[in-house]
Amino acid sequence: MFRTAFAGILSVVLAWAAAAWLTHDFRVFTAEGARRLEVRDAPVATPSIEVVGPGVEAAALSSLLRASDGAATIVDFVYTRCVSVCAALGSGFQQLQARIAADDAPGAPPVRLLSVSFDPARDDVAALARYARELRADPHIWRFVTVRDTAELDELLRAFRVVVIPDGFAGYEHNAALLVTDANARLVRVFDYDELDEALHFARTLAAVSMQ
Amino acid sequence: MTLRQGRFVAGAVLAVACVAWPLRGLLEAGMATHMLIQFPLLMIAGALLWEPFADGAESRWNRLGIAGLAFAAGMLAVAMIPRLLDLALVDARVEAAKSIALLATGAALRASWSRAGLVVQGFFLGNVLPMTAVVGTLYRDAPVRLCNGYRLDEQELAGTLLVALAIGAAIAWLVDAGVRMHRAEIALRSACPPASRPARHDACDPPREERPWPEDASTTTLPRP
Repeated sequence: MFRTAFAGILSVVLAWAAAAWLTHDFRVFTAEGARRLEVRDAPVATPSIEVVGPGVEAAALSSLLRASDGAATIVDFVYTRCVSVCAALGSGFQQLQARIAADDAPGAPPVRLLSVSFDPARDDVAALARYARELRADPHIWRFVTVRDTAELDELLRAFRVVVIPDGFAGYEHNAALLVTDANARLVRVFDYDELDEALHFARTLAAVSMQ
Repeated sequence: MTLRQGRFVAGAVLAVACVAWPLRGLLEAGMATHMLIQFPLLMIAGALLWEPFADGAESRWNRLGIAGLAFAAGMLAVAMIPRLLDLALVDARVEAAKSIALLATGAALRASWSRAGLVVQGFFLGNVLPMTAVVGTLYRDAPVRLCNGYRLDEQELAGTLLVALAIGAAIAWLVDAGVRMHRAEIALRSACPPASRPARHDACDPPREERPWPEDASTTTLPRP
């Protein structure tokens, strides 16, 4: 019976260890939670893939996000035909834009917005420009891009751990979030898409720190 | 080839089929098929793979199947963590670990279930089934997607089916346990035919309140008369 007890306890310890590894010591239970925790612990360098968009000549995404004035950027991933969660992201970004514009005093820590389309086949530069007009985006604050070479899309999505799946209605389901990048173009924090205040506050603090 | 060897081969084929093209993609395309078809198929494959070793003497490492059922309960708990489903889709190492763990779980159940009596089985199911129902309820009712790789409607379906599975398994086991206890009682009675049962109490028919509970029903379900 002692051997059975030993084997039983060993089994439980094994399961415990597997669960602890899978959940980052029982702090997260979903892949999205793990993504946010891992980004927080270890910032992710933006891959230097080429993006294009209205007002953005083919440029590396990393150089687009790198800011000499110390600006932090809040990035989201969208597709312009989206009517569900990116619509919420769109209106969230509109609110953020309004608040950034209102606080735009000289010397204030700069925060910018960037929407990246993961549907480059449909969202060409013209489509993005139309989308930006619909959302009344101010190009000084809020820009729109997509990858120039579709083959590079996967690299970008993998780096930022954006998972896009078909939603069964010819659209996409994706883990929409607010991704905050610092002036060195590193992804440093991921917020839920309804945490607008937290994301903006964090981005401001980040920009203020890198201005010093 | 004996029947047992045949089952072993069938288990090996099933295990490979579950994780190889083209079946893997189909099974893992939906959350419900991933959790409620691929997981059980891998466990069945593991049970079949264990067939050639199933009838050995009871191991001192697995008396009453306790160690095996503890292993199975632990692995099934880990298998219900949503992150596992997402990682298994994108990380081949996690997919391999998941598959091996589920095969081992099936083998452990095969090796342990019949050795475990109703009490040990009941303890195992008393842990695993409520856990399954709770996880299923969470999946069904969560307003957000718990898996980046699966849609919300798939999650709700998987949750509903997990709850149904837990309830169905509980009912099935209770019915089975009732039948076993009933049979054991009949077996005990028929061991003492009425003709040899005089009015006085003898060893074969102690007073009802003193009669020990049939050993067969309380500690083991095999071998059955």
